[in-house]
Amino acid sequence: MKNLVKYMVVITVISVFTGCKSELKEKNSTETTTEVQAVENTNLNADISKTALLNNFIDSYLVLKNALVNDSEKEAAEAAKLMIIAIDNFDKRLLTDAEKTLFLEIEGTSKEHAEHIVKSDLNHQREHFQLLSEDLIELVDILGTTKTFYSVYCPMYKKKGAFWLSEIQEIKNPYFGSKMLTCGEVKSQIN
Amino acid sequence: MFIFMIVFVGIQFIPTTPNQQEDLLQSNFMNSYKVPQEIQQVLKNSCFDCHSNNTNYPWYNRIQPISWFLEQHIKKGKNDLNFDEFESYSIRKQKNKLKSIANQIEENKMPLFSYTLIHKNSKLTEVEKVKLIDWLYKKQDSINNNIK
Repeated sequence: MKNLVKYMVVITVISVFTGCKSELKEKNSTETTTEVQAVENTNLNADISKTALLNNFIDSYLVLKNALVNDSEKEAAEAAKLMIIAIDNFDKRLLTDAEKTLFLEIEGTSKEHAEHIVKSDLNHQREHFQLLSEDLIELVDILGTTKTFYSVYCPMYKKKGAFWLSEIQEIKNPYFGSKMLTCGEVKSQIN
Repeated sequence: MFIFMIVFVGIQFIPTTPNQQEDLLQSNFMNSYKVPQEIQQVLKNSCFDCHSNNTNYPWYNRIQPISWFLEQHIKKGKNDLNFDEFESYSIRKQKNKLKSIANQIEENKMPLFSYTLIHKNSKLTEVEKVKLIDWLYKKQDSINNNIK
C-alpha cells in the first residue's frame, strides 16, 4: 500500500512538471512565431517586435498572480520557477542601452523576488509579489506589450496599498485571495 | 557513547571562516543614510551580527557544530541583506530591501527567534519596532525623492 502511494505521488509530480514545461514550451513557440512574423513584415520597425519580448515574463507573472488569487502557495512557487526561466531567456538584443540598463536592474531584483517566492509561505510570497509587480509594471510601461493589460490597485494591502498587473478587468485580488477577492480598482489600461 | 565522543572531537577540527572585517571604522551605511543614534543601536544589537561584514561572536562559537550552524545563518543573512554593501545595491534594490526589512519586522519574523532566545537584548521592544519601521518608511520616501 505504501509503495503504491509513493508510486502515485511520483507519477503525479512528474506529470505536473512535464505538464507545466510543455505548456511553457507551447507558449514559447507561439510567441516565437508571432515575433518572427512581426520582424518579417518589413514595414514594422524594431519597436513593434520589442513589445513581444516581455510575453513570457508576463505569462509566468500571470500564472503566479492567479495562484495567489487562489491562495495556492504551491502553485505560486511553481510559477515563480517558470518566471526565473522566462527572465533568463529574455532576449536583450533589441533593447537600447537605456532599456538594457533598466532591464538588468529589474532582472536582478525580479529574480530575487522569484527565488524567495519559491521557498516562502503564502504571506511572504505576497510581499515579494508586491515589489515584483511594481517593477514589472514599470518595465511594461517602457517596453510595451502585444496584449491589453490593466494596472489594478488594492488600497488595503500594507500601509500604502499595492498594485498588480491583470489580463482581465474583473477584480480578483492576489493580495488577499478568497479573504477579499473583489477588493481593488482598475487604475489604468496598458495597450 | 564512545563513537559520539570521537565524532565530537573530530568535528572540532573543521575550520570555519569568521565573519570579521578589521579595517571597518564606522559602517558606511550609518553615515550615508544619516541613521539616527537610537536606530543605529537597534541595528547593531539586533541585525548586524547576520547582516553585516562584522559579527560579534559568542564564546561558544569556538565549538562545533555551533560554529558551522552560525556560519550558515550568517552566510544566508548576508546574502539576503548586507548593510555594509547596501550602498552598492541599485536604488531599486535599496527600496525593495527597505520595504522587505519593514515587512519582516512588522511580522516578527526578524530578528530570528533562535537568535533572540540566546541574545536577549537583541529582541525588539514594541517601541523600537515602531521607530524602526517608521524610519524605514521615511527612508523609502526620501529615496523616492532622490535624497539620502
